[in-house]
Amino acid sequence: MALLSESTKTQVLGRNPAAAPSAWQAWRYRLKVALREPTTLIGVLTALLFTYLIVVPIISIVLDAVRVQFGHERRLGKDVGDLTLYYLDRAFFSPVASDLFWRPLFNTLTVALGAISLSLVIGTVLAWLISRTDMFGRRWFATALIVPYMLPAWTFALAWTTLFKNRTVGGQPGWFEAIGLTPPDWVAYGRFPITIILALHYTPFVILLFGSALRRFDSQLEDSARILGARRYQVAVQIILPLMRPALLSSMVLIFAKCLGEFGVPYVLGLPVKFEVLSTSLFRSIASRQTGVAGVVAASIMLIGIVTLMIDARLVREARRFVTIGSKGSMNRQSRLGSMRLPATGFAALIFVLSVGLPLLTLALSTVMKMPARFTLDNFTLDYWIGTDLHTVALQTGILLSPELWAAAKNTMMIVGLASLTSGILGLLVGYVVIRTPVRALSVYLRQVTFLPYLVPGIAFAAAYLSLFAVPRGPMPALYGTVTILILALIADQMPYASRAGISAMTQLGKDPEEAAQIAGAGWFRRMISIVIPIQKGSLVTGVLLPFISGIKGLSLFVILAVPSTDVLTTYSLRLVDYHYTQAANAVVLIIAGIAYFGTLLAQKLTRTNLAEGLGS
Amino acid sequence: MPTINLRGAQKNYGVNSANAVSDLDLEIRDGEFMCLLGPSGCGKTTTLRMIAGLENLSGGEIRVGDRVIDSVAEGIFVPPEKREMGLVFQSYALWPHLTIERNTDFGLRLRKLPKAEREARVESVMQALDIAKYRDRYPSQLSGGQQQRVALARMLAVNPGVLLLDEPLSNLDARLRLEMRAELKRLHKEFKTTIVFVTHDQWEAMTLATTIAVMNEGTLQQMGTPNDIYDRPANRFVAEFVGSPPINILSFGKPGVSDIADKAEAYFEACYPKLRGIGSIGMRPEAMGYATKLEDVPQGSFFSEMTVTGVLPTGGSWILELRSENHTLFLTTHALPRVDNGERVFFHVPPEALHVFDAEGQRIVEADTLLRSNTYN
Ligand SMILES: Nc1ncnc2c1ncn2[C@@H]1O[C@H](COP(=O)(O)OP(=O)(O)OP(=O)(O)O)[C@@H](O)[C@H]1O
Ligand SMILES: [Mg+2]
Repeated sequence: MALLSESTKTQVLGRNPAAAPSAWQAWRYRLKVALREPTTLIGVLTALLFTYLIVVPIISIVLDAVRVQFGHERRLGKDVGDLTLYYLDRAFFSPVASDLFWRPLFNTLTVALGAISLSLVIGTVLAWLISRTDMFGRRWFATALIVPYMLPAWTFALAWTTLFKNRTVGGQPGWFEAIGLTPPDWVAYGRFPITIILALHYTPFVILLFGSALRRFDSQLEDSARILGARRYQVAVQIILPLMRPALLSSMVLIFAKCLGEFGVPYVLGLPVKFEVLSTSLFRSIASRQTGVAGVVAASIMLIGIVTLMIDARLVREARRFVTIGSKGSMNRQSRLGSMRLPATGFAALIFVLSVGLPLLTLALSTVMKMPARFTLDNFTLDYWIGTDLHTVALQTGILLSPELWAAAKNTMMIVGLASLTSGILGLLVGYVVIRTPVRALSVYLRQVTFLPYLVPGIAFAAAYLSLFAVPRGPMPALYGTVTILILALIADQMPYASRAGISAMTQLGKDPEEAAQIAGAGWFRRMISIVIPIQKGSLVTGVLLPFISGIKGLSLFVILAVPSTDVLTTYSLRLVDYHYTQAANAVVLIIAGIAYFGTLLAQKLTRTNLAEGLGS
Repeated sequence: MPTINLRGAQKNYGVNSANAVSDLDLEIRDGEFMCLLGPSGCGKTTTLRMIAGLENLSGGEIRVGDRVIDSVAEGIFVPPEKREMGLVFQSYALWPHLTIERNTDFGLRLRKLPKAEREARVESVMQALDIAKYRDRYPSQLSGGQQQRVALARMLAVNPGVLLLDEPLSNLDARLRLEMRAELKRLHKEFKTTIVFVTHDQWEAMTLATTIAVMNEGTLQQMGTPNDIYDRPANRFVAEFVGSPPINILSFGKPGVSDIADKAEAYFEACYPKLRGIGSIGMRPEAMGYATKLEDVPQGSFFSEMTVTGVLPTGGSWILELRSENHTLFLTTHALPRVDNGERVFFHVPPEALHVFDAEGQRIVEADTLLRSNTYN
């Protein structure tokens, strides 16, 4: 047998192999094993890449908050880059602090709390109806009520303005205004609509999380209490609620974290009445080149986000203690609603109409109507979609004929597509290294660093990118206004999902198929090409598709980093909103919603997974 | 394949965990059919994986002939793909995306053999293992036993110098298992392949192996021929692990705990006063006989009167459960027992069938000659 031609022949005289190897020998041996294959090298390279793409921007924006920025040297009497407490002072203690930070913070918190309360009330009832009762059409509602989550949140904001816009803002009036019922400002803009819309948008969170907890809940626990003489409400309060608490808290925390980074809705609905939340305040600071203050606000958002999600991680860990293992037969017994069956179904239907039907219908109708709220045949037109020679200042054709739309669509496809493809592949690589590398520290670091962006709301992350890449640094040219910065930021933003998908795919694959190939004589590259990639084809597709969908409907990253020449669909529609081209803006939003919705369906079909697992993307 | 030598091989999976394998010396000679035998978790799979190179060492070295292929002290590590060994996994590890034929073909393609030769070899192993009719199926479309045969075929196709098998028969039904055992034995004879075979089934080990290595908690307990292991277990662990029903152990030095043990102690003091330091003795159920009358008990043997409390047929033989005041023994007989529950009988064991262990549980080798030399009748 032609074995080991390259291995050295060694003298074995006077040596006892059983003696414990010295620390240096053990270290040298481990290094040799670790460097034998590209796994470790790839791990080190990706670790460096993500340090640069994720850790460095975050550090950079935190540093911005405490260092003198351009333009302030004179006033502060220090050089650019010197340490200063000026921005902290300005954001937290100065007379303008209330405008910059405290009022937006207060608004963010109250809007979030309102949205959380409302969605909890609606969501728990719906979750219970769907998973534990004999309501009509349960299965259909189970999917239909999740739809709001698949659409961009500010779809609903635009629908709201289409209906309720009043004279405070120019452009086409809202439908109510048009028929003579002027909605008051508090209905049209600000806290009230923002809270309602966020609540409706995030109710699916509660339905999914609470519903799955309910389904795992063993009815026997309920029954035992009933047998002991507890009344229905006593069972609900004393047995079910305490056991459901982790799921409830977890959905609350998730909704809070999402509200924190939400930009589109407060931008569309808050701006006209100067109602600001932290994300819009951050946006304003960046737009007015207040880099230092922007750093403070962004760092604050990150801090709140990180703390929140750490609380969530804690809750999830505690929730494990509550997992009840029940006998299968009794687990999913349904309550009979009796005479409440019809009203309950009506409630679910109402929520569906309010959160999906009405907004989408409004948007769709608005794009084919010349004057708002006039339902006569001559008022309907397809001009806004496919018309030509319209008598407007800009955009003189229907949206589908407008080159800007196609440019934005092309940009979206290219930017989001390229970023998703890259992060999908990187995610699989990270998964491979995390599972396979013999160097534990590398595995832990990669897993954590790729998860970091999850803790940072997109808008703060975008601000961090701006802070790092707006000016040339070292060999890196200034990237602001380029496609590159968008792609890099998107990749980083998507890494938590991509790497999680990669890690779980590699965990499922296990070591065996690869080791079998190794035994058969296949080296690293051969194993990658013949074994790992073919088997993981499916996960790679999801790992690309899911980030692609969330990237397409994403707004907060782009709104900070995109310029007109790098417009994507979302920023383009926002620009149309700013110019008061209501119909066109709504049409673009409908296109985005369509892509996101059908893309999600496609992804679910391809992977046979449930949305609940991809929660949070 | 030259002799494979493990010297002081050690494996520790975590910083704070116990050694999965410690200080293992193992010699696998060319053409040998070696069984690694031991209870679950004793480090059999780990040992196999270290030999294959899938697990790196924490200490010690592995040599093939006089070449070091793995050594911590010398910093040598030959990767698995260059060791040219065959390994059949406990879980088969078939490639789910390749057909049975491509699975079998994989290694040969890597070796860049001419197409005609490749096809001939794949054909012959697929025929030999009776999987040719599934050639175009995917692994998920085969039963567990069929998958196992594909896993074997995949390794046999490349004709490796040594074939490492990790419990390859565990998922087969009794009949198929017997067939596969015969098949393995035939392959071993025909190809003269060195085989290392992991099992925790002692009968499998007994019937297949030319050498058995018994392991426990990561250390080698005994290495020897099946007869050695069975007839002269090196320590109590081996004695108790091999044999079914298990060997009857009588512990010395604890008067009053067991009346039978006390009798045995008295027996040794009377007949073999020179033997000192006995910790326990063992009697294999198969080596024991019984008599209903005292005069039928052979002279010189160790015996005692006990009550029959169970007669358990095991197909062709019977196990008698015997009880005294505070001891229970098992005895195997191949003749239909003519005793009933509640009857009093005398069990008896000839001295040469007694296994004598010291206080640490190691076999007292001098006792063997002593017990054997003492002829009676
Ligand atoms: N990857 C691993 N990480 C940590 N510990 C391990 C690992 N693999 C095995 N062990 C431990 O090492 C010891 C030996 O395991 P091994 O798989 O070699 O046992 P085995 O003899 O093959 O058992 P079985 O008969 O159940 O297959 C066990 O205690 C096991 O828990
Ligand atoms: Mg094993």
